[in-house]
Amino acid sequence: MKLWIIPIGLLLAATLCAIPLSRYFAWIMDGKFRPPRWLRFFEKALDTGEQTWKSYAVSLIVFNAGLFVTGFVVLALQPWMPMNQDHKGMLAPTTIFNSVVSFMTNTNLQHYAGDVNLSNFSQIFFCILNMFLSASVGFCALVAIIRAFRGQKTVGNFFVDMWRVFVYLFLPASILFAVFFISQGSPMSFQSSFQVTTLEPGSMGTNDKGEPARQTIVTGPVAALESIKMLGTNGGGFFGMNASHPYENPTAASNFFNTLAMMLFPFALVLMYGRMLGKMRHSWVIFSVMLLMMAGTIIWSVYFDTMKPNPAFTSRAASRTYDIPDKTAPGGKIDVCKPRVAGLPVDQHLGNLEGKELRFGTSAGATYAAVTTDVTCGSVNAEADALNPLAALAPLTGMWLNCIFGGKGVGLMNFLMFLILGIFLAGQMVGRTPEYLGKKIGGREVKLVVIALLMHPIMILLPVGLFAATPWGMKAESNPGPHGFTQITYQFSSASANNGSAFDGLGVSYGFNDNPNPAPEARAWDIATGLVMLFGRYLPIIAMIAMAGFLGEKKSAPFGLGTLRDDTVTFGFLLLGTVVVVGALLFLPLAALGPIAEQLGPIPFGG
Amino acid sequence: MIKNISRTALLIALAIGICCVLYPALLWGVGKVFFPFQAGGSVIYGPGKEPVGSELIAQPFTQDQYFQPRPSAASYNAAASASAALAASNYALRSRVASVLGPIVRYKSGPRAGQLVAPDIEHWFQKDTFGGAPSIVSQWATAHGGLAQAWVSADSSHARYVNKWAASHFLDVAQFVKQNPGTPKPGAADLAVAFFTSFSKENPGKFPGVVSQAGAAAAEMGPVNQGTDIQSTFFDMWRQDNPDIDLEAVPGDMVTTSASGLDPHITFENAEFQVDRVASKWAQLSHLDQTQVREQIRRILEANAFLPLRGLAGDKMINVLKVNIQLQRRFAPAL
Repeated sequence: MKLWIIPIGLLLAATLCAIPLSRYFAWIMDGKFRPPRWLRFFEKALDTGEQTWKSYAVSLIVFNAGLFVTGFVVLALQPWMPMNQDHKGMLAPTTIFNSVVSFMTNTNLQHYAGDVNLSNFSQIFFCILNMFLSASVGFCALVAIIRAFRGQKTVGNFFVDMWRVFVYLFLPASILFAVFFISQGSPMSFQSSFQVTTLEPGSMGTNDKGEPARQTIVTGPVAALESIKMLGTNGGGFFGMNASHPYENPTAASNFFNTLAMMLFPFALVLMYGRMLGKMRHSWVIFSVMLLMMAGTIIWSVYFDTMKPNPAFTSRAASRTYDIPDKTAPGGKIDVCKPRVAGLPVDQHLGNLEGKELRFGTSAGATYAAVTTDVTCGSVNAEADALNPLAALAPLTGMWLNCIFGGKGVGLMNFLMFLILGIFLAGQMVGRTPEYLGKKIGGREVKLVVIALLMHPIMILLPVGLFAATPWGMKAESNPGPHGFTQITYQFSSASANNGSAFDGLGVSYGFNDNPNPAPEARAWDIATGLVMLFGRYLPIIAMIAMAGFLGEKKSAPFGLGTLRDDTVTFGFLLLGTVVVVGALLFLPLAALGPIAEQLGPIPFGG
Repeated sequence: MIKNISRTALLIALAIGICCVLYPALLWGVGKVFFPFQAGGSVIYGPGKEPVGSELIAQPFTQDQYFQPRPSAASYNAAASASAALAASNYALRSRVASVLGPIVRYKSGPRAGQLVAPDIEHWFQKDTFGGAPSIVSQWATAHGGLAQAWVSADSSHARYVNKWAASHFLDVAQFVKQNPGTPKPGAADLAVAFFTSFSKENPGKFPGVVSQAGAAAAEMGPVNQGTDIQSTFFDMWRQDNPDIDLEAVPGDMVTTSASGLDPHITFENAEFQVDRVASKWAQLSHLDQTQVREQIRRILEANAFLPLRGLAGDKMINVLKVNIQLQRRFAPAL
């Protein structure tokens, strides 16, 4: 029972916080907040006037191009920049490309390790900058969509919206959380690292001169990065091992608020949607469907990871042989044997502890894995690669559906795709013209939705197939059999969902440009995932803004007897059904070839 | 378009000023004033008032008088955190855990309850039959080629030993090249399986290890029939031959690696599992009575035990470095 305290507490706290937060968000984004004059000065300087959805989208793209250039310059110049006491060199060019795209698209897939490869200058001027701004971009896109849905001819000004989101929303929240994280033990300094003499001299081995080696501890402005990383659902860690590192996440309390931080904005945005449209009941229906799905993924991963032992150490009482028909084999079948295995004497009453930190609490790792992929944060506090085979389905599902709250703005936008599609399908079934918000959904809108919706599976299935069949993927896998396939699947799912978590064993890191032993196929991974992130981010955003623009232009039909009510339990089930059926149809084969095959197949798999 | 570009530049410039300068500077100030200990990395000091580490970062302990942290995939390198990233279905995970278990596992019931299984692993190994077939080492290398290669690469003396073998066994090497035309000039690691197969034939019941020869300056490699290497490497195979023997379970966190490789805590059960070893070593070092030492250590453990989130989140645990510092304070002056 104690296992469920963390997940229930998180869901409750996030829901309760979302109510006042959504009120605040709507107040700010509707321009009702009158900032002091010196702040208004900046708003005025940024304001280019009211924009149509088209020019709003153009501004969004231009701004992201600017972000790309800035990020590229900062990373490429790392060796010559200040605050680099440890003299970190330049990353490989493909890794720079990948990282810049990754942070610009709010993905934060990291093909480098922050503690090894980045100077404090890069951590601040690349990571933190992108974390604030890329998080705001998704938020703004959603606000534009809402305004278009309201039938407004102009959807506000992109630059003013950006300013409001990152200064009035993200900044104060980040400061609050960062101060709390410092109080828990996250360092906040501009030092790169320090050395200590271990208590047992020589336990770290000896250095070149034969003296006992000292322990080098990397530190830096960790707390500043940590809070916006979580609040902005960015997820790119200061350290290679992200929020599992004791400096990023020092205590059970910091872990609770760390997890809560990534849920706050996505939760509140759903309610803000209803508030700004004047349809609170409708947004509560969406909220409940999302909450139900999130609870489902959490229960799944806690059940299979915390309540089950790691199957690597358990016993299998008897061997079983399966006949698999195969025309090419002699005798027409292959015998596959799952041999009898004796268990190792390991006490696993705390569940699968491989790749978990103890201080967060027993179910915290599994809970975090589910939440971080649902809200497309991508930060991790446990090693996803070492999750029990079936438990790994929870994070994968979160990324495949990509709309269980989702990242700021984009999560709800993805959900709206399923919603429009669901209404369209329901309309087809009863033979009525489908309507949303009183506006008729026409062919053009559905086409745009389907383009946006299909982008995600295409961006996952095609490259997974390509990489699984070529040395690009086969040389990068670090685990045998189905799990290796899951590693590839996970990487592209994470890239396309703009999530950023990873099965860390996959060999995707080139490291510094002069690294003599990079991962053999790192360049292919850098480029492929970089492209996937770009398409996975901007195509749906543009398509959805366009869809909202076209839909908003239409006349509102009065509410009639035959209108599909969008604020009922029935409508909730329609949404849930659409998401589950469409999502399952698209991704079930991947699940069967990866995690399910691993669970059913022999463990250990091969030598 | 000009407007878009100029506002983009302005917004990024403003964001740099606010998010990259003011924001970190403010937090740095807050840290300096209100939380100097935490903001500086939670550095703690040893008995001699020198910084010995961070309260939050695990560091290795190898000697018996210290509690040992969880195994680390990062070798406790706090400049490059890392996890093992081993899947449940990867034999490397099982083998890594088995090799930790071999030397420390005890019988749970039966006439030898409480005794180490390690000597029995050696006896079983010397008989050289596994699963009813001869040649344990050869079977091991054939089934787990990756582990055999890892053994060769683990140490330069291992590679030298294999090369020495290769020089005197050119027929085996020739046969390997014939079977593997892709590697015409095999290195030591390539030859691992062939080496172990031939070694096993020539030295039944033995494994390459360090043999101390009288008069030799450096340690020499040679066939041995006992030692922790054998207990570690062959525990899993011994277990498969003796699946029904009741063994004392080892705390899970003692054999599993953490996510960061720097987890500073161990569970209370893990500490209790280690307390006999720690107490007897301190008793031996400080010439105190072992039961008394044990009692004092237990009290230190109880005083340091804590529950995450006051018990809402998880089980009792201790901070390894803090406890070891206290042990050092208590017992080292008596040395």
